Amino acid sequence: MHFEYHEPTSVREAVELGARFGADGRFLAGGTDLLIQMRRGQLRPRHVVSLHRVPGLDAIDVDGAVTLGALVTHRRLEREPSFRGALQALIEGAEVVGGHQIRNVATVGGNIVNASPAADVAPVLLALDAEVTCLGPGGERSLPLEAFASAPGVTARRPDELLTRARFARLPPHSATAFLKAGRRRAMEISLVCVAARVTLDASRERCLDVRIVLGAVAPTAMRARAAELGLRGQPLTAQALREAGRAAAGECRPISDVRASARYRALLVATLVERALARCGERIRQAA
Amino acid sequence: MTATRIVGRSLPRMDAPGKVTGTAIYAADFALPGMLHGRVLRSRDPHGRLVQIDASRAARVRGVRAVLTAADVADVRYGGSVKDEEVFARDRVRFAGQPLAAVAATSPEAAAEALAAIEVAVEPLPPIVDVTDALAAGAPLVHEGWASYAALPILHRDGNVCNRARIVVGDVERGFEEADRIFEHRFVTRSVHQGYTEPRAAVAQWDSAGQVTVWSNTQLPFEIQSTLSEILQVPVSKVRVVVPGVGGGFGGKLRVGVEHFAALLARKTGRAVKVMTTSEEELTAAYARQPAIVELKTGVTTDGRLLAREGRLWFDTGAFAGSGPGVASVATLMLAGPYRIPHLLLEGYAVYTNKTNFGSFRAPSGPQANFAVESQMDIIADALHLDPLDFRLRNIVREGEEGPTGQVLTAVGLEECLRKVADAIGWKDRRPAPGRGKGIACGWWTTTGGSSGVYVKINPDGTVALNTGAAEIGTAALTGAAQVLAEDLGVELADINVVSADTLSTPFDFGAQGSRTAFAVGNACRAAVADLKRQVIALGARQLGVDESALELRDGAVVAPAEGKRATLAELARISQASGGGLIAHGTFVAPPTPYDAKRVEGHVYPVFHSPSFHAHAVDLSVDADTGEVTIHRYVVAQDVGFAMNPTYIEGQIEGGVAQGLGQALSEEIVYDAGRVLNANLTDYKMPTAVDVPRIESILVQHPSLVGPFGAKGVGEPPNIEPPAAVANAVASATGVRITSLPITAEKVALALRERER
Amino acid sequence: MGKLALSLTINGESHDVLVEPHRTLLDVLRTDLGLTGTKENCLDAECGVCTLLLDGMAVNACIVLAVQCRDRTVVTIEGLAVGAELHPLQRAFIDAGAVQCGYCIPGMILAARAYLDENPTPSEAEVREALAGNLCRCTGYQKIVDAVMRAAGAPAAAR
Ligand SMILES: Cc1cc2nc3c(=O)[nH]c(=O)nc-3n(C[C@H](O)[C@H](O)[C@H](O)COP(=O)(O)OP(=O)(O)OC[C@H]3O[C@@H](n4cnc5c(N)ncnc54)[C@H](O)[C@@H]3O)c2cc1C
Ligand code: FES
Ligand code: FES
Repeated sequence: MHFEYHEPTSVREAVELGARFGADGRFLAGGTDLLIQMRRGQLRPRHVVSLHRVPGLDAIDVDGAVTLGALVTHRRLEREPSFRGALQALIEGAEVVGGHQIRNVATVGGNIVNASPAADVAPVLLALDAEVTCLGPGGERSLPLEAFASAPGVTARRPDELLTRARFARLPPHSATAFLKAGRRRAMEISLVCVAARVTLDASRERCLDVRIVLGAVAPTAMRARAAELGLRGQPLTAQALREAGRAAAGECRPISDVRASARYRALLVATLVERALARCGERIRQAA
Repeated sequence: MTATRIVGRSLPRMDAPGKVTGTAIYAADFALPGMLHGRVLRSRDPHGRLVQIDASRAARVRGVRAVLTAADVADVRYGGSVKDEEVFARDRVRFAGQPLAAVAATSPEAAAEALAAIEVAVEPLPPIVDVTDALAAGAPLVHEGWASYAALPILHRDGNVCNRARIVVGDVERGFEEADRIFEHRFVTRSVHQGYTEPRAAVAQWDSAGQVTVWSNTQLPFEIQSTLSEILQVPVSKVRVVVPGVGGGFGGKLRVGVEHFAALLARKTGRAVKVMTTSEEELTAAYARQPAIVELKTGVTTDGRLLAREGRLWFDTGAFAGSGPGVASVATLMLAGPYRIPHLLLEGYAVYTNKTNFGSFRAPSGPQANFAVESQMDIIADALHLDPLDFRLRNIVREGEEGPTGQVLTAVGLEECLRKVADAIGWKDRRPAPGRGKGIACGWWTTTGGSSGVYVKINPDGTVALNTGAAEIGTAALTGAAQVLAEDLGVELADINVVSADTLSTPFDFGAQGSRTAFAVGNACRAAVADLKRQVIALGARQLGVDESALELRDGAVVAPAEGKRATLAELARISQASGGGLIAHGTFVAPPTPYDAKRVEGHVYPVFHSPSFHAHAVDLSVDADTGEVTIHRYVVAQDVGFAMNPTYIEGQIEGGVAQGLGQALSEEIVYDAGRVLNANLTDYKMPTAVDVPRIESILVQHPSLVGPFGAKGVGEPPNIEPPAAVANAVASATGVRITSLPITAEKVALALRERER
Repeated sequence: MGKLALSLTINGESHDVLVEPHRTLLDVLRTDLGLTGTKENCLDAECGVCTLLLDGMAVNACIVLAVQCRDRTVVTIEGLAVGAELHPLQRAFIDAGAVQCGYCIPGMILAARAYLDENPTPSEAEVREALAGNLCRCTGYQKIVDAVMRAAGAPAAAR
C-alpha cells in the first residue's frame, strides 16, 4: 500500500488531479471501501486524492429536484428531515449501512462509484430514477444512474472523472418509497438481498400509476425488476397483485450462490421483500392521505 | 451458610479502572525498543507435497532481518496428547493455513513484502475434507507415520482416528430390546471461532544468558513454557512466559500459536520480535471449535423413561490431534446428558482431516453434543406426546445418583434449574402465537481440576499481595479469588493487589481453562490464609504475650477479646519483616480425585466431571415464515453455580456465554470448500452484534459443592452449551420444522418450511 | 513517496509526526505515539475496537489515514478522564459490571460518548443500535448497554 497522497481544496483542483493521474489515481471519500480494498491488495492506486477538504460536495438540496452532493454521508441521509415521508427509502437504505462509525464517513458518491451489487443506497437512488453527474477534464456530463454501473466495480465513470452529485425529481402526489434488506445479522450486514420500491397511485389512491422495483445483490449490478413493475402498472395494489409482483421479481432476478446465501434463498427473499416493500409503500400513501 | 462480608457480593472487578481508561496493557499493545515485526507464510494448499521452498529473494527485501523455514528449526514434533505437530511444514502440507516460513522485518510492510517473495512449490494431493472422507475405506492417511508418534498410552488410535474414547454401561442391546420405542437421529455442526477481540500476540526477547522471555496473551503460561522448551530445545528454566492483559480467550489461547515464531525469530535476529495474527489467520489457522457429526440411538418406554442410548460423535480435529482426543473424551459424558440411562454405549472420535487443528472452545464438545441430545429429547417427547419439560424431569439425575461412569453426583440443582427457567419463560403457554414458540434445554458440565498455587504476602501497611500463576482473561476470576482471600483474611478487597501469570516468579497454575480459575485459585487462597493465620497467631501471641488459643484473626488484626489486646496485620508484617523475613504463605489446591468405575471407560482422558454444574436454558422466539428469520423475545438461564462469589460477573459469564452460544446457534460458521475457508474475515464470519443479542435473564441457583470455595462451582463455560439446542427446540415449537444442523440460519429454516409445504 | 510531516491534535495536545501516507491513524497512535488505548483487531472496520472520535464523530481509526487528520481533533480513550476524575461513562462501565476482558471497552465507551452527545436520553434499543459497530465477545452487551443507560441518567452537566 504505497501511494502519493493529495489533498485538493477545491473541486477544480480535485478534477485537475484526477486528470493528471487518470487510472493511476483514486479519489478517497469515506474510505470505507477504498482503504479496505487497498489493504487487501485488490486495488493499488499510485495516487490517492482525498476529497475531505473539497467544499461544496456535501450539500443536500431539495429545491425543485433533490440533489445529493457526492460527499453527503449516510449519516446525513438518515437524519435528513425532508426525506421523512415520501422519500423514506433513502433513510431506510442509509440507516442500515454498517454501524455508526461507517455511516459517519461513508458517502453516497462512494456507494455509487464502488458499484457493489450489494450496495444499499444506490438501489434507492435507482428507484428514484436518479441521474448522476461526473466532472472531468472534458467538462460535466450527466447520465442516468441505471446506465452507470455495468458490473461489480465497473462504471461509466472515466478514471479522471469526479462524481459530483446525484439528482432526482421530487415525487408526484400519492407516492411513497420503501427499502428492505435481509442479512444474517440485524446490523453490520452486507445485503443478501435488498429491495427498493417506489409507488405512485392515482388521485383516488386506487391504482398504480407508476412503480419502480429495484433489486440488490441478485445480479452483477442493482437491477430493475421490469416484469414485476409492468405487471403492477394500472393495477390496484391488492394482496394478490403484490404477491404476483414478488413472484415476478423472483423470476427475473439472476442471483448467484456464494458463502452468504444460495441463489434459491436469494430468489425466495426477493419474492418476500418485494411484496413487503410494495405493501409498505401502499400503507405509507394511505397514511399520508 | 455463614454470612460473608466480601465474597458473594457484586464488587467491581479490580482491573476495571485500567481497562476503561485505556492504560491496561494487553499483549497486542506490548512493545519493546527496536522490536521487529514477525509474519508467518501459510500454505494456500490444503494438502500436498512440499517440493521446494525458496526464501532467498525474501531475505533480500529491504528491512528483512530473518527468514525461517523448516530447514532452520529443530526437527521436533510436539503436541499435548499426540506429538504430531511441527513448527513449519517439512515435506508435507496438511492444511491451508499451515505455517511454511516466518520472517522478521523492521516494519509490517517489509514483512508482508518478504512473505510475498518466498517461492513455494507444492504438488497438490486431494484433500481429506471431512470426517466422512477420512473414515472412508481406503482413505489416505493424513499422517502416514501416525503409529510412530509419541502419544498418551491411554489413547485408542488407528490411522486417521487419533482417539476413540468410549463409555460402556450395562448392555445397550438389551436396553434396546426392552425399549418400547427406539429413536435414531443424526446431527451436524460446523466450526465456530472463539472470536476474542484481541488477536493472538506475542513478543519475544532473548537475554545474554540464553533465557527467552515471551510476553503472550495465552491462557496457559506454564503450558506455553513447556511447549516452547520442546520447540526451542532449551530447558524450561530458560523460558519465561509473562502474560500481560488478555483480550478474551474462550479456549482459543491455550496452545502455542504465535509464541514459538516470535521466540525463533528473536533468537535468530538477536532482537525483540512481535508476532500478531490477522483475522484471516484466526479464521484459517487457529483453534476454532471442531465440526461434529453426532449419531444418537435412544430407547425409551412409552411412559417416557430412557432405557438405552448408543451415541457416537465424530470430531473433525483437523491436521493435528491437539485437544481432539481429550475433547472426544469429554463428549462421551455430554452424550449421556444429565440423565439416568441404565444402558449406554457412547463413543467420541477425534479424526484427522486436512483442516486447521481445531481446538478447545468454551465448554469443548458441549454445544455439539448437547445440541444433539437435547434436540432428540424434544423429538422423543413429541413422539410420546409428553411435555418436553416433564419428559426431562422424569429422567434427570438427582442427588446421590450415579453419573455415566459411576461417579456419585452431589449438589445436583438440575430440577430447580429446570423448574425455574420453565416458570420464568411461561412454559405453560409454549406456543403463544402462530410462528412463535418456546424451547428448553438442559445440561451438565465439569469444573476442571488441575492444581493451583498462590503466594500470599502481607505488606507492612497491612495490604496483601496475591501472587498467582493464573492469567486473568476477562472473566474476573482473579477478582473472585481475591474476594475469597479478603474474606478469609478479614481485609477489604481494595487491600489486595494481584500479581499474575509470570512463569519465572509466580507459583504454578494449571491455567485459565475449564471454568476452574476462581474455583481453584480461590481454594489455594484459602489454604494460604490458613497458613498465614497460623503465622500471625503465633507471632501475635509472642508479641501480645497471650496464649495462641486466646487469639483470633478478625478485621485485619489478631485479637484476644478476653484480654482486650490487638495487633494489626500491618504491625505484625512490620515485625516479621524486621525479624523473620515477612509474612508469606504458599497456598495450594488440587481437586481431590472423583471416584468412578474405571471398567466403564476406554481411551478416556476425562472420565468424570469434577464438582459438576447443572443448568437449564429457555428461549421464547418467533420465526418469520417467509424469510426464516428468527427473532428472540426472551432468553432465560438458570444455572447452578454452587455459590455465587460475585453475582455481577457470574451474570456477565452467563450473558456473554449465551451471546456466543446464540452466534453458534444462528449465524456463525467457518465455511469450508474443498479444504479452504471461504469466509476468512469478519465481514462474513458473523458474530452477534448488540442488536442481535436479546436481554438475557439469569437465575442463579446455589447448591453448594463440597469442594469449591464457599461451595462455588465452575461457571465460565456452561452458558455456552445449551443455546443451540434451546433455539432448535424453540424453532421446532414455533414452526413444526426440526433443524438438525448448525447454524440454524434463516435460509435453512425458510427452505425447510418450503420443503414441508410441498 | 517519502514521509510527510504533520501535526496531529490528540486529546488536546499537538504531536508532530513524520509518516508515510499509507499509515493509518490507528497505527500511528499505537506505534509512534504509544497511545495503545485505541485497540487493534480486524483492520476491516468490522469490529470497532479502534473506535475514536475524529472531530467529535465516532470513526474506525483502522480506516483513517493519519495524513487525513491534519488540523482535525482526535479524542482517544486516554483523553476522556480529566486527571484522576473518570468520565461518567467510564464510571458507569465499572459500576454496571460492563468490563470483562476490556479489549472492546475503549471503543465502546467512545462510540457511546459520541452517541450520547447527539442523543442524551436514548432508549435501550437506540443504544444497542448505536453500538452495533462494536463487537464484544465477553459480555453479551447487556451490562454495556446498562452502563450507557446509567451514564445517560447522570445529570447533563456531568456529561
Ligand atoms: C464494516 C462495513 C460495513 C459496510 N456496510 C455496508 C452496507 O451495509 N451497505 C452498503 O451499501 N455498503 C456498506 N459498506 C460499504 C461502504 O461503506 C459504502 O459503499 C460506502 O457508501 C462507500 O463510501 P465511501 O465514501 O466510504 O467510499 P470510498 O471508499 O471513499 O470510495 C469508494 C470508491 O469510490 C470512489 N469514489 C468515492 N467518491 C468518489 C467521487 N466523488 N468521485 C469519483 N470516485 C469516487 C473511490 O475512488 C473508490 O473507488 C460497508 C463497509 C464497511 C467497511
Ligand atoms: S480494528 Fe478497526 S474496526 Fe476492527
Ligand atoms: S469485554 Fe471482552 S470483548 Fe468486550
